[in-house]
Parts: sequence; structure tokens; C-alpha cells
Amino acid sequence: MIAVEDVTKVYGRRAALDHVTFEVPEREIFGFVGPNGAGKTTTLRILAALLEPTSGKAFIAGCDVTAQRTRVHEKIGYMPDFFGVYDQLTLEEYLDFYAACYRQPKARRRKVVDELLALVGMTERRNQQVDTLSRGLKQRACLARALVHDPAVLLLDEPASGLDPRARVEMREILKELQGMGKTIVISSHILPELTDLCTMIGIIDHGRMRATGPVKDVIAGLSTARRLRIGVLGDREAALAVLQPLPPIRHVAAVNGSIEAEYDGDESTAAAILAALTSSGIKVSSFAAVDDGLEDAFMKATSESVG
Amino acid sequence: MNAVATALWNPIVAKEYRTRMRTWRSPVAITVYIVLLGGIGWAVFSALSFSQSGSVNQSGNGGMGTQMFTFLVLLQVALLAFITPALTAGAISGERERQTIDLLFVTPIAPFSIIWGKLLASMSFIVLLLVISVPIFSLVFLFGGIELDQVAECFLVTAVTAMTLGFLGVAFSSLFRRTLAATVASYGAAFVLLVGTLGYGLLFPTSVDPNATSAPAPPAITFIGPAIPLLTIATGQPVSGYGYRFDGGNNGGQFLTTSGGSCFSTGNGTVCKGGPAGIFQGPAGTTIPSGLFKNWQYWQASVVMQLVLCAIALVFAAYLLPPVRRIRLGPRVE
Repeated sequence: MIAVEDVTKVYGRRAALDHVTFEVPEREIFGFVGPNGAGKTTTLRILAALLEPTSGKAFIAGCDVTAQRTRVHEKIGYMPDFFGVYDQLTLEEYLDFYAACYRQPKARRRKVVDELLALVGMTERRNQQVDTLSRGLKQRACLARALVHDPAVLLLDEPASGLDPRARVEMREILKELQGMGKTIVISSHILPELTDLCTMIGIIDHGRMRATGPVKDVIAGLSTARRLRIGVLGDREAALAVLQPLPPIRHVAAVNGSIEAEYDGDESTAAAILAALTSSGIKVSSFAAVDDGLEDAFMKATSESVG
Repeated sequence: MNAVATALWNPIVAKEYRTRMRTWRSPVAITVYIVLLGGIGWAVFSALSFSQSGSVNQSGNGGMGTQMFTFLVLLQVALLAFITPALTAGAISGERERQTIDLLFVTPIAPFSIIWGKLLASMSFIVLLLVISVPIFSLVFLFGGIELDQVAECFLVTAVTAMTLGFLGVAFSSLFRRTLAATVASYGAAFVLLVGTLGYGLLFPTSVDPNATSAPAPPAITFIGPAIPLLTIATGQPVSGYGYRFDGGNNGGQFLTTSGGSCFSTGNGTVCKGGPAGIFQGPAGTTIPSGLFKNWQYWQASVVMQLVLCAIALVFAAYLLPPVRRIRLGPRVE
């Protein structure tokens, strides 16, 4: 559905994007993560046909974002990281205006506005002036605006920034619902744990270069060089450490906050062997669990490698 | 909807109408406009009445009507020169500052339609101001001396002038990212259009050979501004002595004596008697006697030149507005 092929964007002497390539299949939620200035917004603006790449190609549903801008605009719903709203317009008029911009007939616009207000949970606020809405409600209104023409692809630049935890959860639920409706979603965010829950695919970008891209689990696994265990023991922890340290698969072991954390090379059977070694040595193991390194660690590894 | 209807009525227009008329600024602007036009008009009427007290004949009233009308049309165009840039200079830059422009760019609305919608909404407000000023102008008919076609022509020139200022305002709004810069540039353009073109005729008048066979006309550039056309319409004659000078240094042509004959000015221009054939004739009537727009009415030349300026400003604005330009005038700069 979305293909970015070797895209470079140069501002003066600085390369904001350096041969970025990735693909997002249909109906996936693609999380686009990276530190500030990594090139996330530039990539999304290129996909939204608001910016021309210096070189390379990008396609939305087969349409070239440089050569077929109008067709691309019909297929995307774009939500920028910073956006404003008009004064003196109610929420209903705001959505109706954008629906009219997408050349929707008046009768259909009314229906679309009703449906979108229901989707984002703002039906009761339809007559409220849009500039008086809170930040979270404006984000939801902007998301509804991006959907007025029922696009196949949503490009969302930091949609959860500045939202309180409840608003974030609500936004996440809406996005999941949209995925269920068949939308392909590209979402850039700094809030990594949320992306882990929400996204099916991920791309990590840093200094304009794509460090990793693919299904979330694959990216996390690919960036993890060792697995971690968190082990709780009853009694003498030093004895447990003494058992673990000489084991060949163990890379590093340390007492952390009342439990033991051990990094090891191997798979689940290796973990079982470690547990067996502990119990056979008479160590009373109260808990034994694999620690999910998660997206945050993968992100840190990907970006620290680039810095190094 | 057909193409014309779509062009004339795009969603931007409807949105602009809504948002513009819901603020306090629009009623205040209308009120201030009417109070100034009516109030200053009344003050001028009082002054003229006082100066002409004792003269009650018909021609005196007609003269007062002409003077009143002349003053009102010039005041009206000056007021619109203050209002129009304020309406249009923030049209595009305001969208940028409000961070709503990208949301418009990702819709199928063409940049030209965005500009057109903004202009149409602003110009509608100007038309509203012109319409509500009609009752004030109708008062001059009480005094006589002014025909309906003069009023229509003056309103046309005024409307086109406001339109030109509006188009220039939107062009500057596309050019500058900040509304303040666009506003300053728009008022600068208004000053040049109204005062600069007038000053050009004074500083760089047409040089006239005293032996020329045709009457002189001010430089064509002076017709872009509305002042000279409005004065010629209101008074029914050219602005005496403006915009040309004789090579001998005798400015104006108010009175000229040539070998073997003499010329003198009348209300309808300069009349020469005696002397050789082909002697200099001064300008007369409201047609341009020579130059690029020979035999055109002054207001016709003004309207055409301003419309050309509007077209240039519109193309310029439409070129500058899109985030990604299809046509590049210069080398690509990243």
C-alpha cells in the first residue's frame, strides 16, 4: 500500500533523509519512531505530497507522490504534528468545510459528519466552537477531519503528543477501530510502549537513515543480542549468583531490586537449562521469567549504534 | 455544479463568509466606513454651503454637487485603500501562521481555488461597502451637476481599484510567511498605486513639443492609479496642467502664445486662434488625447491597466502558494 524507495531529502548541505526505503502492506499499522530531527515528519510530508524528495520515489496505493499528487491526496488522510483550527466555526461546520473541500455532496456531508463525530466520540460537542476545544479534543477533531473522505491510508504525525493518559488510550482505541475498518496507518510517535501495543510493523529512523524496519517482533528480536531473565530466589542470593555466573550461556548476571537479572545467549531450552541448574544446586526459585526487552530497548540500541 | 459555479462558489468562500461575518470586526469596519464617509461628506457639504452662502442660483448648486461628488469618490477610494489590504494581506499568511494551510493543501482544492476563494470573500465585503455607500452618494443628485453614468463609472473605477489592492494583498500574503510583512507590503503597494502614480505624473511629466499637432496626455503609468480617472469622471474634464510640460519649460498649457496666433484655456481645453496650421491644442474632455491609450476614456485605461495588474498578481500568487511547484522559474534550491 505504501512504498518508499531510496528517498533522499537534502536541505542545503544537510540530508534530512538518506536513502530511506520501507514498505507498509495494506491494513497494517506502521509505527515510525526516531529521535527529534530524525526525519519522521519529513518522510510523512513527502508521503502526503507536501514535500518533494530530492531523489527516490514514494508511492501510495501505486500512485507516485510526486507525479500524481491529486490522486495521492484522495487516498490519504493526513494529520500533521502541529495544526491549527479556524475561529468562529463549530465542530460540525469545521468537518463539513473539509468534507466540502473533498467535493462531497451536501447530503452526504451531513451523514459523514454524524458518523465521524460518533467515531471520535464527540457527537455532543458538534455545536461547540472548534477553537475552544481542549488539545486532546482538537486532536480527535483533526483525526475526524482526516477521515472525511474515507481515505485508505492515514498518515498521523505524533497524534498522541500532548495528550493526557486517558486521551492517549482513547486515541489508541480509535486507531485500532480504524485498523479494523481496513485502513492502513502510518503513525509517528515518541511514546514507544504505546506503539508496541498498537503497531503491527515498525520503522526506526535516526539521522535520516532507516535503522530497522519490519514486523514489531522481528525488529525487536533482530536488535536484541541477548535475552534476559528475571529470577526471584528465596534465601541466599549470593549463592544463586555463584551458580549462575559460571554457566556458559550467561553473559552477565547481577542482583537488581531484590531479584536477579541474567543476560544469556540461547532460546527457551537454554532458559530451562538455567532453571534446572539453579534448582539442582538447591536454590529455591520463587519466580523465573523472561524479560521482554520491548521496543524501547530496540529503539535505544538502534539509535545508540548510529550515534556510536 | 458546472465549472463556473464551482470556481465562483468553492468551500473557501462559504467558510470565509461565515468566519468573517461572525467577528466583531466586520460590523465595526462597516460602521466606521459609513460614519467616516457620511460624516466627512457632511462636513464638506457644510463647508461648501458656508463658502457659497449668498449664491443660490442653479449653477452654484450644480457646482457644489460636482465638488461634493468629487470629494466623496476620492474619500471612498482612500478609505478602501485602508480597508482592502487589511482584508487580504492575511489571507494566505494567516493560514500559514494558524497552521491550517497544510490541511488545505492535502485536499483536492487547487491552490488557484484557495486564492480565488479568499479573494472572492474579501471582494464581496468590498462590494458590500460600496453598496451601502450608495445612499450617501445619491444625496449629490439633490444638487445636480452629476449624471448617473458618472456615478456608475466612478464606482467601477473604485471597485477595480479595491480589487487590484486585494489581488496585490493576496500576492504579498503568498509571498511573505508573516502577516505583518504582507500587510506592510500591501499598504506600500496601496500607497504606490494611489499616490505614487499621481506623483509620477508630477515628477516625470510628458514632454510636449509646442509644435505638436495633438494635445498632450500624462504618462500612461499615471492612469493605473484611480485619482486622475476619478477626477476626470467627476469633473467631466481632464486635470488641467497635470502630467505634461512643454520643452520650453512652460508648464501646464494654461495659456500659451505662439507666433502668429494665441492659445488660451477654456473649460473644455485649450483653444488656439490664428497662427499656422497644426498648432498645439491642449487636452479637452475625458478622452486621452494622445499616447498609448489615445481616444480612450481615462477610466477605461485605468480599468484595463489595473485588470492587467490583477492578472499578474493572481498568477504570481498562484505560483507562489503550492508547497510543491510544478513549474520552476529558477534553478532548484533545497
